[in-house]
Amino acid sequence: MGSLEHANVFMRILFLSLCAIIVGSVLLAQRGREMFIRRIPGLTAIEEAVGRATEMGRPIFFSPGLDGINIVTLQALAILSYIVRLAANQATRIIVGLRSPMVYPVAEESVREAYDAVGHPENFRSDDIRFISDEQFAYALGAVGIISREEVATNFLFGAFYAEALILTENGRALGALQVAGCPEPTQIPFFIATCDYVVIGDEYYAASAYLTREPTLTGSLVGQDICKAIVIAIIALGVGLATVFAPEKNFLLTWLGGGG
Amino acid sequence: MSAPRPTTVSDRIQQIPRHYVYLLLAGVVVWQLLFPIRLPITPSVPTRGVYDAVAAVPDDKLIIITTDWDASTQAETGPQTQAVIHACFQNHKKFVIMNLQPPMGVKLAQDLAEEAAQEYGAVYGVDYANWGYKYGYENVLMAMAKNIPNAIGDDFYGKPVGELPLMQGVEDIQAIGLVVIVTGLSAMTEMWVGLIQGPYRTPLAGAYTAVMAPIYYPYLDSDQLKGMLVGAKGAAELEAMVDRPGKAVAIMNVQSWAHVLIIALILLGNLGYLFARGRGEGSQP
Amino acid sequence: MWFSRLLQRLFPPAPTPAALYLYLALAVVGSIVIIVALHRLLGPRGRRWLIAFVTFIAGLFFGLEYFYPVHGDPAKNFLTDWIEPVSVMLTVVGAFTVGLGIYSLLQVHGRNLVQRRPGWHNSLAFFLATFAMLVFGMWEYYLHLPQPPPAVVPWPKGIYEILFNGLFAPLQAATFSLLAFYIASAAYRAFRVRTGEAALMMAAAFIVMIGQVPIGAWLTSFIPADSPAAFFRLEMLGEWVLRWLNTPAQRGIIFGIAVGALAMSLRIWLSLERGTFFSEKG
Repeated sequence: MGSLEHANVFMRILFLSLCAIIVGSVLLAQRGREMFIRRIPGLTAIEEAVGRATEMGRPIFFSPGLDGINIVTLQALAILSYIVRLAANQATRIIVGLRSPMVYPVAEESVREAYDAVGHPENFRSDDIRFISDEQFAYALGAVGIISREEVATNFLFGAFYAEALILTENGRALGALQVAGCPEPTQIPFFIATCDYVVIGDEYYAASAYLTREPTLTGSLVGQDICKAIVIAIIALGVGLATVFAPEKNFLLTWLGGGG
Repeated sequence: MSAPRPTTVSDRIQQIPRHYVYLLLAGVVVWQLLFPIRLPITPSVPTRGVYDAVAAVPDDKLIIITTDWDASTQAETGPQTQAVIHACFQNHKKFVIMNLQPPMGVKLAQDLAEEAAQEYGAVYGVDYANWGYKYGYENVLMAMAKNIPNAIGDDFYGKPVGELPLMQGVEDIQAIGLVVIVTGLSAMTEMWVGLIQGPYRTPLAGAYTAVMAPIYYPYLDSDQLKGMLVGAKGAAELEAMVDRPGKAVAIMNVQSWAHVLIIALILLGNLGYLFARGRGEGSQP
Repeated sequence: MWFSRLLQRLFPPAPTPAALYLYLALAVVGSIVIIVALHRLLGPRGRRWLIAFVTFIAGLFFGLEYFYPVHGDPAKNFLTDWIEPVSVMLTVVGAFTVGLGIYSLLQVHGRNLVQRRPGWHNSLAFFLATFAMLVFGMWEYYLHLPQPPPAVVPWPKGIYEILFNGLFAPLQAATFSLLAFYIASAAYRAFRVRTGEAALMMAAAFIVMIGQVPIGAWLTSFIPADSPAAFFRLEMLGEWVLRWLNTPAQRGIIFGIAVGALAMSLRIWLSLERGTFFSEKG
């Protein structure tokens, strides 16, 4: 009978090193070290997009994607919370369309807390946090229905999206909404780029909470992340060189990266 | 943000109303469905990999066909599933259907399996079976790796899987010779690679919608997937290999000309853009 | 392991179905009592610490199981046997939230109907569709029809087939089909060759689009398949673009996303996530 794979010594060293680098960067940032993050147009545009909705007197629609509670959705909810704080000060309405019932209580609490935090609890409307459907395309059509009936001025799509993404964005575009999208998965990025005004791509998405809040903890983590990527690139380069020169049985990196214990 | 009314020729070329684009596309689809121009289909290397992986499964092992798709992607994943089922029957390999998400997939796949079973005289429970929809994603796979009858429980019809003749001697993941992942959903393959192919070296093959397939080429390249069906094209190629031309072949006739139309429209839009740039106007939204 | 024996002594298997239901009821009531007591006794700061502690322990379990040295055959450590029951437990907890989604739908659409808000007929359609599918879906399941099904089926099965195969499945397929039209209009509207890189991308897109359909193979079928020039057949070119240009790019994106996910997971596990949503300061 087989067994679940466990880490070997190399994987333990590698993983713990990567974690140590990220945590170390966080500690450095907390001690006041300045850390640079380049401009990410999609995230910078959030404020402009909220402002547009306020000027037009029309609501904002936010979709945190189709997944349940995972890090992609949690990041989307962090961005939602930021948008709510921006919009709450200007009494701009935000409608959140949800696909996963697991996300519903978390999203509702997140939005309620955001309104409380800026001192406008009276602007929170529980009816604006809507579970639409668990079915992918029923969700898409329900969301399009909300976007059309409410004549939203701005459409935010942050999270895990799949085939329904183009239905949401093409209809939003036809209605004249300003659209900002962000998705870590590459499959839907081409469709977002063709139909949205601003797109956050790949791991820019995971940088969102750091970029928007500029919290030292988060910016430190982002810098640590970049250092980890440099290490991964170095390992790839080493692997390519070793695979070019040596046969597989003499390639020690292949054995180490097998990972199995 | 609606575009201003077109005034010049280049504007008109760049701003053909979208309902005309839709009508053109609908016209091409209807034309090819009614008067198909049949073109030869040559199996590609990834498709041949799927067929060879099925043929290479030892006779005492099962094939799992995971049907993680629903009616929305049925145009691609339905023919893919059907072609894989035909490949299994033709190579006399026993297979089971199962599904982790969404539940509709097992019913649609069961209809396809029953249709093919009639052609080959296959018997449910002996030559093929349906484990049904199992909720739990990774938990199901981790449980299956150790004890399949316990993890699966009842089949699609509510009968304990341990009572099915083809499940005799099937205890854990070592009894599985191949897993064919037919899906329109992301993250399914990563689960199987991480929890089954990686630790237990169980061969995997994939069948994906055309939009998703590019992200799985790295897995094909690293031999984590033995083969891959790419959208309706892959299904048509496998249908050609098993000599059962069906819906996928019909779809490819349509898709060929739809692609030609889209390329023509893009070129037309760029022609208008070039004219406009020549006049110093720029592109229209 | 002493811990396993302790748990088995504290929570033995239920001897009868009635005892099982009693245990379940006690567990539900006990959970509610504990949660209410914690909510009352702990202040906001205490609650935050409790959440951070539970988050840390939950994340530690899976991470520790992966990294802790293993021994024996099959290779395992003291946590390996707990993976399955813990995973099942998490699945059960997740299943509770399904009811919340249904509650939200009933609340919103029920209010629309009762107050006759604009579009109330859509909410009526929602209720009719939901209950029809629920009733006939469950009725069909509990008919326990034999296999293969008889030529003439009971009428509830017939209605279920109409609702599922006649309505639900085609509607889903039709909605997905809208994408074809949207892709055509989006491609026509958005793809403009403004720079050299855009021209390169457009050329690659055309090659892949035509290479992936039979017409591409037909256009270059004059090139013999076994000649050195076979590389220039459109289907071979398209395959080359996907395998040798697309694959490294996808790998790079996958690695980047994985490292980003690692960093975010670490922040959540150690309750370092700050600002908006999570908390202002720990």
